Amino acid sequence: MELLSLFDITFFLLVAFGTLVGIIFGAIPGMTATMAVAVCLPLTYALGLHNGLALLLGLYVGGISGGMVPAVLINIPGTPSSITTTFDGYPMAQKGEGEKALRICVIASVFGGLVSAAVLFLFAPLLADFSIKFSYVEKFLIILLALSVIASLSNSMLVGIFSGVIGVWLSLIGDYSTTDGGNGKTRLMFDFMEPYLFEGFSLLPVLIGIFGISTILLEAEKGIKSEVSGKSVKVSKDAGFSLSIFKGSLTNLTRSSFIGTFVGLLPGVGGSAASVLAYTQEKNLSRDSSQMGKGAPQGIMASESANNALTGGALIPLLSLGIPGDSTTAVLIGAFTLQGIQVGPLFIPENTETWYVMMTALVFANIVMFFLMFYAIKHIAKVVLVPKHILFPIIVMMCVVGAYAINYGIMFDVWTLLIFGVVGYLIQKVGLEVAPLIIGFILGSQAEVYFVKSLESAGTFTTFFTKSPIAVVLWLLILASVVFSVLMSRKNRAKQLQNIAS
Amino acid sequence: MMVSKKVMTGVGSAALITTMAMGSSLAVAQELQGNVRVVIGSTSTGADTYQNSSFVVDELAEHLDINMKVDAVGANAAFRTLDRDPRGNTLMIFHDYAYLGHLYGVEGFSDIFEKYAIGPAVSINPGNAYLVPKDSPYENLEDIIAAAGEGETIRVAIQPGGVSEIGFSALKNAIAIEHPGQEDNLVAVNTGSQSDKNQQLFDDQVDVINGSVQANEQFTRLPEDDQKAMRFVWLTASEETIEQAPEDGLGETSREQLLEYVEPNVNVTMGDDESFTFDKEFFFLYNKDMDPAIVEQIDEALAEIYEEGEIQETLKDSFFIPNFMPSDEAEAHLKEKAERYASIIENIK
Repeated sequence: MELLSLFDITFFLLVAFGTLVGIIFGAIPGMTATMAVAVCLPLTYALGLHNGLALLLGLYVGGISGGMVPAVLINIPGTPSSITTTFDGYPMAQKGEGEKALRICVIASVFGGLVSAAVLFLFAPLLADFSIKFSYVEKFLIILLALSVIASLSNSMLVGIFSGVIGVWLSLIGDYSTTDGGNGKTRLMFDFMEPYLFEGFSLLPVLIGIFGISTILLEAEKGIKSEVSGKSVKVSKDAGFSLSIFKGSLTNLTRSSFIGTFVGLLPGVGGSAASVLAYTQEKNLSRDSSQMGKGAPQGIMASESANNALTGGALIPLLSLGIPGDSTTAVLIGAFTLQGIQVGPLFIPENTETWYVMMTALVFANIVMFFLMFYAIKHIAKVVLVPKHILFPIIVMMCVVGAYAINYGIMFDVWTLLIFGVVGYLIQKVGLEVAPLIIGFILGSQAEVYFVKSLESAGTFTTFFTKSPIAVVLWLLILASVVFSVLMSRKNRAKQLQNIAS
Repeated sequence: MMVSKKVMTGVGSAALITTMAMGSSLAVAQELQGNVRVVIGSTSTGADTYQNSSFVVDELAEHLDINMKVDAVGANAAFRTLDRDPRGNTLMIFHDYAYLGHLYGVEGFSDIFEKYAIGPAVSINPGNAYLVPKDSPYENLEDIIAAAGEGETIRVAIQPGGVSEIGFSALKNAIAIEHPGQEDNLVAVNTGSQSDKNQQLFDDQVDVINGSVQANEQFTRLPEDDQKAMRFVWLTASEETIEQAPEDGLGETSREQLLEYVEPNVNVTMGDDESFTFDKEFFFLYNKDMDPAIVEQIDEALAEIYEEGEIQETLKDSFFIPNFMPSDEAEAHLKEKAERYASIIENIK
């Protein structure tokens, strides 16, 4: 009963309001959950800790979930962690199954969110102790495992790997900071670029440019005729959705949710790796993955359950070690410091009330997200029915605003968006592959940091193989992933040859 | 019809330009008004710079009845934003890293005393600390200096180029004075965030880490057999500063306990019987061409706020030491401080 006295109607209204605003932030390309939490952080000072957390956790869950909308409908990942949702979501929308795809996303999201909340509630301190077993070497290997997806995501393995390497190269442009094991100098650029590229290209403008702007350019190239008929992207009258789609997908959902939670609890690995890893594992382990990348519900399920599972996972190191698990929880920690509350290994035992308040807010936010989105989808999905000559300029404007706002008003981010829009268009024209390039870009710089730091700490290459049993297991997973990709590639080539012959 | 459109456009443009010109000249001539953005030199909203800046900026906004917003953009972006805005709509708050970065030659840092105007100082974070694992063979800092003097390699996790490194430099300098030629036994392991430094300690990759009372106090209360357990060996703040902290200290560590880790109980010699201390101070930075009327306005407003006394309580509740100095005084104080630390950095080169 004492616990119930902590909650009032304001608390639940704040969670619901936060979730709604978060969904809107997530759905606008360029606006992220992190930005939503950062904008509202000063409000927590006036609201008090518990009500402040109610609002922020709503924003967090809503923001992560909202990213699915532009990913599915217009091929722009609303948040970096919804990148893999575009792989199957957009093809489904093109087939007129946008509403169905979004409904799958919502159910997968709520599943992932609730699984990770349960894991957080039951095992937080235990998992925090486990997470500190992952030092530089293990984190490097996890990123390497996520990078190995490049091979299996590509239509042509060689082109895919080449595209991935370009992505890694792009991620290394900028200042090679001494904290990252570098020399504190800028690299891979000319001197005159230094004022603009000191910190390299920002992730989100690159992402939106390469996915969103280039898609718009490609569509624009087709001309206005094709869209007048409304055939290229449409919403079918009956959404074709029934829960039976999830039949046989429990393993996928559960595995992806645990992958999301697990990646979330490793500080510094980053949210995008979660959905990428979950997506690859589904591709590698499912009985039939031939349709993945062409509009398969299983791909969306993996991606969305993993990225929502991040929420609970990333809160584990925050509340058990005082270390944020991802960029949004790094902002969230401000709510505690503004109230003068320490977060560290003794936070949960010393602040049980706050702990229960957070858990309630997290679960409630997931439920609110489900109801808000599931029933609003049929209206949201109609976005694609807006004529493209009206829709595209609005999207471009929102992308520009988002890119400008992402680092609090840096004009170069808008140029980045436009440059990578054109680059994205060109690389598709010359036959390079976008997905491997962007995954290389997202994971490349982290891979380098952990690689260099591992060598710096141990002084020998053998450390990558002998550091710990966890490292050995990760090597086996990497090996399996590579072998699988090679086999898949050969199989595809044989099929192609067979098709040509027949 | 065409002519009238042109005339209309011309008149409209002229009116707009005149209004804009008047607006900008008014903005230059007047004091702070409208929306003011306060950029800070840290990207973290969970760290002390954001926390401290939020307290000060909230009070200032209320006092001046204007909109002010703290943006955690990081050092490079903050300096660049400040460079662009002489109108006073962008201000910056940062700490000693602003000049230490330049002294250590960090890319992107220039001499703040030349390039910017120094605004008022507002507070001190007394929490800058050095820690060892709870089961470390080194009982205190004296043991560490002695061990390095005897040829043992001591690895210290720091974030290079700033507040984190200055204590390391002082320690190295002290070893050079007490055990000449042995200072290279103290080795810096460059890391980034606090979690990286902690992880290095959990992995036994370093012997000592730089941390803070706020971030590490809970770890010092864990049992010795816990892999995460640590203990303080040194707080760089002066005794006088820690004495101003609340009696209860932070968490379960009282002020009395914290005083065990500062000079004179811990001595890091600078030679000539002088002991090294370092208070991490927060202060405003302005665009050099900003109207002096705004400088004066902020000085006056903050003086009144500190006189009212409420902000002191807020700052102390979060383990900051209120330390208001108007712009002129702050500039002289920080210049003198920078010169002192420049000599330490020079000594160990």
